[in-house]
Amino acid sequence: MSIVAKVIAQSDEANRFLSSAELAKLQEFFSSSTARVSAAQKLAANQQKIVDEGSKRFWAQCPNTPSNSGNPQKTALCQRDQGWYIRLVSYCLLAGNSKPLEDIGLDGMRDMYVSLGVPLANLKLAMKCIKEVALGGLTAEEGALAAPYFDQLIRAF
Amino acid sequence: MQDKITAAINPADEKGNYLEGAELEALQNYFRTGEMRVRAASQIGESAASIISETVAKSLLYGDITLPGGNMYPTRRYAACLRDLSYFLRYATYAMLAADTSILDERVLNGLRETYGSLGVPIEPTIQAIQAMKEVVTSRVGADAGQEMDVYFDHLIAGLS
Repeated sequence: MSIVAKVIAQSDEANRFLSSAELAKLQEFFSSSTARVSAAQKLAANQQKIVDEGSKRFWAQCPNTPSNSGNPQKTALCQRDQGWYIRLVSYCLLAGNSKPLEDIGLDGMRDMYVSLGVPLANLKLAMKCIKEVALGGLTAEEGALAAPYFDQLIRAF
Repeated sequence: MQDKITAAINPADEKGNYLEGAELEALQNYFRTGEMRVRAASQIGESAASIISETVAKSLLYGDITLPGGNMYPTRRYAACLRDLSYFLRYATYAMLAADTSILDERVLNGLRETYGSLGVPIEPTIQAIQAMKEVVTSRVGADAGQEMDVYFDHLIAGLS
């Protein structure tokens, strides 16, 4: 549910037109849309590079972790998931809120990784590294739009 | 409900894809019209009551429908008509903001014909009123936004027809 759908649902619930605060919020969203689109495009184009460079930084700080265990299958799966989270951040940029991340990637996430035996603390560090590399490829404006979604992801681990 | 953005993200996620190419372009086109949509929603919200009054004056007020025996008589039924017209206006405005008709299907049209049938509300004058509302809204929000609102009013008319 995008920011647009969310304010509409809110207004509908209260049987009214959108409030001026809600309209202002949408206005702000639309005026940042050029930067949102270009940030999403850069994340899409650089996903592989971001994951590779993020992994290097992560392993330098945390060498003893499943993705660095020497089992190529594990490495591939961990990096695949990290790439998916970058994709979800790109959805959030376009949706104007963190709902895509929450609905697709956070709901049930802890249970899944605990069951897989992947240490959440390690994932948290890995995501911090991913964020760092990803923001490095964005302008300040794009980075400011993307950072909160990465932060929410990091907090969730 | 769906909106233009969610409707683009969901199928992309099903395939594990980023939004690119034609899908992203469609979204960009929507974003470019965002300011117009917000402005129109604001204008409509601020003057909803007067839009409804003018709509009734244009379409229903001077016909037999407001006389004894008509469907807008007595006052209780007149008020119910105003309320329904204000629903049409509000939901068309939501749909215009979302650039998606699904909220009209889910919240307005679902079962409406049947409800009107059982209450004896005539469809033809309802459609005339929505047609009049299109003109009134366009005169308030301008041609571009009016054209966009027409899409959703027409969807209501098609659903009632």
